[in-house]
Amino acid sequence: MERWHSVSVLSDIRPGEVAGVRIDGHEVVLWREDTPAASLHAWEDRCPHRGMRLSFGFVRGDAMGCLYHGWQFGAAGRCRLIPAHPQVRVPASIHVRAYGVREHAGLAWVNMEGTDGFPDHATHWPDDVQPVRSVHVRRGATQLRQAIGLEAVDGMAWRGSVGLAVHEPVAGQAMLHVVCARSGEPAPTPVALSHWASRLRDAVESGNPTATIMGELA
Amino acid sequence: MSADRVLYDWTPDVRSYAVRLGLSLMGVECRMQAVDMDLPAPHHADGLLAGECPPVLECAGVRLTRPGTILHYIARQPDVARAWLDPAHEWAILNWLDFGVSALDTLASARGAALATAMPVPPATGALDAVLRRMEDHMAVRAMDGHDWFAAPAASIADVMLFVVFALSADVGVERDTCPALRRWARGLRALPGFAVMPGVPDYA
Ligand code: FES
Repeated sequence: MERWHSVSVLSDIRPGEVAGVRIDGHEVVLWREDTPAASLHAWEDRCPHRGMRLSFGFVRGDAMGCLYHGWQFGAAGRCRLIPAHPQVRVPASIHVRAYGVREHAGLAWVNMEGTDGFPDHATHWPDDVQPVRSVHVRRGATQLRQAIGLEAVDGMAWRGSVGLAVHEPVAGQAMLHVVCARSGEPAPTPVALSHWASRLRDAVESGNPTATIMGELA
Repeated sequence: MSADRVLYDWTPDVRSYAVRLGLSLMGVECRMQAVDMDLPAPHHADGLLAGECPPVLECAGVRLTRPGTILHYIARQPDVARAWLDPAHEWAILNWLDFGVSALDTLASARGAALATAMPVPPATGALDAVLRRMEDHMAVRAMDGHDWFAAPAASIADVMLFVVFALSADVGVERDTCPALRRWARGLRALPGFAVMPGVPDYA
């Protein structure tokens, strides 16, 4: 599981949307096609033209456009249009680095080393899941995982119908991703879970015990 | 109606930007009187009183010097769409407007100090962090309730003021992936007709 990073709740990346995220300091652009298939992509957040961040750009149908000079990139990161030279057949060597991406349990998972190895145990997580929110915590991922009782190899911790995942955008900071399974036991509302996550964040950051807050979920 | 309305405006000042952005979004014309506070006092601008700092709005015998009050005043003009100060949500709008003004005052002094000494802009301070946290927590819950804006069903003067706070936070190194709810909200504001960028602050998030 360590190679697959949960980078966002799926509600934060709707069709036609672009979001820059970081994984251990690496900038990644997450974007979703504005097409019926609405496929999700995760690429290196760097335009091959002049190196600008693609996450400042825009989605055009099934392509991602760079804000700066409008180069467009399609499936697997291949450049398919250079507006200044529309007649030119773009060589295949011009492409953005594409990463492995999966949508599962209400979260977007990214693997910067490839597409394989999505763990078997993840298939047991609930499928019908409502994304709640991603919350920034000014503490390292290890400390946050400890606070919520999550082993890094597990990927997600489930407390009743509430699922929690953690990733580290940059050393010393973490994102806590909160989702809620729709079926099963009665669950807190998304709004209540959002407030809960804020309180957990505040406790972790101030070094206060989190057992009571975690206990509210059981 | 623009002839008798003057805004003393200092381009790089964040509070002046908040007023310019509000005027532009609300579609209100105003004569701009450029001020340069970096010059010695006698050369700031004709018409600015001793000790005054932009933005200053002079109109029909009133003289307003606080950005929140200026936006409030403009939103009350008869030719401005009521949604900017929606009577049904007026108290929530004014509350968030005031929150934004205080935040901007804090930011402006930190920024002013950094610019004055030509030092690098300091990293996100505790105060700014706390402000952004409250904004992010609020908008995360608003989105769950199906709302796109801070205090009312449509964009209000509170959103204008808070947008400036958010835009400036990028300047002090706050990464956008740490506040997903604010990122979506700011995109919505940027897409409104009349949106204007602040000089020196990148127009993306
Ligand atoms: S930098 Fe991306 S198109 Fe030029």
